[in-house]
Amino acid sequence: MIRGLIQTVFLLIVLSILTGCNSAPVPPEVSEAEQQQLGLWKAGAEIYMPAEYKTYKRSLRDGQLHLLSRNQRFAWFRNYKDIKLEFTNILAQGKVLEAKVNEHKRIISGNIANQIAFFQNRIETLRKLASLINEGRLSSRALTKAELQLAEICVLSERQCYTDAEKKLKGMSMYTEQAANSILPILNRYTDNAKITKWRNWVNEAVEASKRRQSYSIVVSKVDKRLYLYKSGRSYKTYEIGLGTNGSHDKLYAGDKATPEGKYQVIKKVPGSRFYRALLINYPNEDDRRQFAIAKKKGLIPQRAAIGGLIEIHGGGKRGMTYGCVAMEDHHIDELFRIVDVGTPVTIVGAIEYENSVTSAMKEL
Amino acid sequence: MNKKRIIYLALGVMILALLLGCSKKPEQELTDSKAVLEAVAAEGGEKYAKEELNVIQSEMTAAQDEMAVQDGKFFKNYDKTKEMLTQVKAKAEALQAELPARKEKAKTDAQAALDAATMAVADAKALLAKAPRGKGSMADLEAFNADVQGLETALTEVQGLMTSEDYFVALDKANGIKDKAAGISTQITEALEKVKAAKKR
Repeated sequence: MIRGLIQTVFLLIVLSILTGCNSAPVPPEVSEAEQQQLGLWKAGAEIYMPAEYKTYKRSLRDGQLHLLSRNQRFAWFRNYKDIKLEFTNILAQGKVLEAKVNEHKRIISGNIANQIAFFQNRIETLRKLASLINEGRLSSRALTKAELQLAEICVLSERQCYTDAEKKLKGMSMYTEQAANSILPILNRYTDNAKITKWRNWVNEAVEASKRRQSYSIVVSKVDKRLYLYKSGRSYKTYEIGLGTNGSHDKLYAGDKATPEGKYQVIKKVPGSRFYRALLINYPNEDDRRQFAIAKKKGLIPQRAAIGGLIEIHGGGKRGMTYGCVAMEDHHIDELFRIVDVGTPVTIVGAIEYENSVTSAMKEL
Repeated sequence: MNKKRIIYLALGVMILALLLGCSKKPEQELTDSKAVLEAVAAEGGEKYAKEELNVIQSEMTAAQDEMAVQDGKFFKNYDKTKEMLTQVKAKAEALQAELPARKEKAKTDAQAALDAATMAVADAKALLAKAPRGKGSMADLEAFNADVQGLETALTEVQGLMTSEDYFVALDKANGIKDKAAGISTQITEALEKVKAAKKR
């Protein structure tokens, strides 16, 4: 009896060794889930959906542990039905997570694209505004840095490295603000209604005088980069002009390269000027002297500074570099030179209209 | 009878030995594999072989799981654990051996991009230097000059990134600088041509 039992057990052991692991195969869902997990990791599930990814990974790990434990069973008694079901559920969980990750990435990428467009537009507007007032030198450095940073953000976004792109986007405002702050004090001059009202009054007076005296009057608008010639109170000719670096400021002292604003007149016609032909105006006038004294008293200008002079409307080309003068194309100054005489009023203002090119460009900021 | 008992006892011992198998826990293999993986991470695996490192780390977890299962059993068999740990170690060592070459390639690529960017900035600067001063588009030239200054600052940032071995970031930044510098050079040339054309008229 005992001998028979021992023989049976022995036979069973020998059989099991011979048959080896001849049990049911591990369900394919197991390796599918492992591949899925790798795919989710690559897609950034850990970054974009950390909590859900952690839950998913816990489920996968539980499943893997269950599979391990099942594999320890004697081959004949191994059954993977419940393991298959468990991994099917894990795959379904992974698919839901994958959809969520993709949706999240779609939203982030959309937000990043919007922000890129916003900053591109802001940089473009700031460049345009700086160019309007001839002050690219003040803002270009910061804007170049902003453009470089934006280029990096675009590359990161293309590579779907959204977290890095978002981090860099946070630093963008610093550069654009820096650029804006460098030119805003100048731009604000052209949006200041009180200033524009004062300038409009000067222009009206100049036009009125031209009408009253049946003579010519010159009006220069800095923001429009135009010289308007009035004849008997009516617009007669318009010329494009150029101003120098810092020309958008009101002149305070010699060497500040600013173009004066005020009511002047032609005091000399210079036919053989260094800049082709020139109309010398009577800067500084009484008002300029008063402003200069105040600025000096307040310490706004160097104590040794002189008030300057020799402000002209001259040729040499409107793109020419001037140090406070008004530059014109040679054929335009030729014409103007022939028309106007000494004594012709010259009114230089920042802007004539409340809605000017600066105010409209600033709306885009 | 006595002889039979001895035979049965010997048979029993043989079966037990078969079931117990190699029961020595592969502590040394585990320590070795962990050490190589840590070395890979320390030598820049996260930066230069992120994906491969992640796969090996998952395999390491699986090996540890297998070991934990055997730990809980009466008849322990660590053969599979050993095999898994040996594979992990071999893969990690292969990756570790590859890292210096990957790092070197990243460094070479970044340096080449930096050199190209430096040259592009120098070209833009040279164009600016030969632009006529005084009469001409001075305000534009001053703006371009500020642009170039911005690029030069950015170049020093790339140098910093090279020193801190952030080669991928350095590469992207340098490429951006090169493109921007080329754009500025084109703008300067166009501006100068406009001035020339205006003078001819």
